[in-house]
Amino acid sequence: MRHATSQRIEALPAPVQGIAQTILDWIPLGIVVVLWELVSGTVVAESILPPPTAVSSLLVELVVTGEVFSHLFISLFRIAVGLGLSILIGVLLGIGMARSDPVEDFFDIFLSMTYPIPKTALVPLAILWLGVGTETAILIVFLACLLPIVLNAYNAANDVNQSLVWAAQMMGTDERSMLYKVVFPATIPEIMTGVRQAVPIAFVALVSAELIASNQGIGYLILTSGQIGNYPRMFANIVIISAVAFVAVRGFEEVRNRVLVWT
Amino acid sequence: MDVTSETQSGFDLSRLVELGKSVYSLVIVLVLWELVGQFELIHYYFLPPLSDIILRFIELTLSGDMLYNAYLTLYRALVGLAIASVFGVLVGVLSARNDLVDWFFDPIIKIGYPVPIISLIPVFMLWFGIGDISKIIMVAVGTFWPVAVNARDSTQQVQQNLVWAAQMMGTSDRRLLRRVVFPAALPGIITGFQIAMPLSLIITFVFEMVAGGGGLGALEIQGVRSFQSTQTYAAIIAVMFIGIGLDRGLRLIRSRLLHWT
Repeated sequence: MRHATSQRIEALPAPVQGIAQTILDWIPLGIVVVLWELVSGTVVAESILPPPTAVSSLLVELVVTGEVFSHLFISLFRIAVGLGLSILIGVLLGIGMARSDPVEDFFDIFLSMTYPIPKTALVPLAILWLGVGTETAILIVFLACLLPIVLNAYNAANDVNQSLVWAAQMMGTDERSMLYKVVFPATIPEIMTGVRQAVPIAFVALVSAELIASNQGIGYLILTSGQIGNYPRMFANIVIISAVAFVAVRGFEEVRNRVLVWT
Repeated sequence: MDVTSETQSGFDLSRLVELGKSVYSLVIVLVLWELVGQFELIHYYFLPPLSDIILRFIELTLSGDMLYNAYLTLYRALVGLAIASVFGVLVGVLSARNDLVDWFFDPIIKIGYPVPIISLIPVFMLWFGIGDISKIIMVAVGTFWPVAVNARDSTQQVQQNLVWAAQMMGTSDRRLLRRVVFPAALPGIITGFQIAMPLSLIITFVFEMVAGGGGLGALEIQGVRSFQSTQTYAAIIAVMFIGIGLDRGLRLIRSRLLHWT
């Protein structure tokens, strides 16, 4: 199927080729959307499954009136702080554990004990300590993102090419600049991999915390729209947070490719 | 570790030292926790002493509450995961082997995978209510993506030489899939399960916290709402056991199934 059509596409003039390929690639999604539109209001009640047209008009409305932005900014702030903290502490902890035995002995057991706990199960505990709101969301995002970053930093710092270290030592690098100048730069690619794994996790953690314990943010908006029965609005907000998550992942991958020019 | 010292004496000092090094920090923290709780340096509600939490855990376990709620959570998570595994492997393997299936599912996976699946909980409450069915379907939909993507990618990476060799020996298409492609892709498929397993628990817990209906998530949030923080802590201990148990279980299954690797 794909081979046959791609041959036919190659027969087209160059500028049209790319467009034709893109359209062909995304037809299935179009089919799903059209089916959704047809089913809504006929097979399934419109209130249960609002048609894409209703959702998209509400989406435009939310964006044009700017109503969504105050909540979106709060959500993004929580992600930025939580993820930022987890990168900072995760990298320190990961490299520290790899380069120093006492540090590893101290923290290893906590990491292996918390590793199998789904971090969203800690939302009630966060509510207990910090109440309902931004701090709770930040704490959950931080905890959820911490482990992938620690693990990647730890593995990378353990696997630093020993010839690099020897070469630097031979040239008289002291312990401290060894960390800054040799070990840390060598671990950057893996740290980026850890962050790449953490970004989607951050969004899941954020929405979980906002559904359970928040009165602001996109997750809260989704829940309350559902509760008051404004379903197009609920779907529109889901589309917005999904699009933001998608852009965040893609954007980070783009940044990573720019940063890691030497690999 | 030194093998000779192990054979020499039953009492191995170096091993004991190793063990001490790896657990001392936990012991310190737990003792501090108990002391802080006993002297109420932090309000009882925020941090009850460890002994109270353990007592509460035992109490809830003996009364059967803990086991019943753990059963509810596990039932929802694992049934959902099982459904997702069947569909995910099917769609993933077929996508890798058939261009038409791949053409159809590729854009859907591209769009569906990055959706923070948790945000669909209110939708599932609307569609299927707040009962077990709703939670199971939600878990199935949420864990479908990692299973399907890993199954597809690992099937695509099956060495073409294996396929050619089998074809040369006259293996039919159907047997080829079952006997060659599927076993070769199995490590990647199981990796998909390992990614999906914690996700199934995450979805179940959050759904239980938002919608209630029993389960460990509901037990935790109930503890917060009724100002019985020991119940929340006790439920988290149970969550930890379940998480560790499932993680170990999957690793065991993996090493059993993949003993040839």
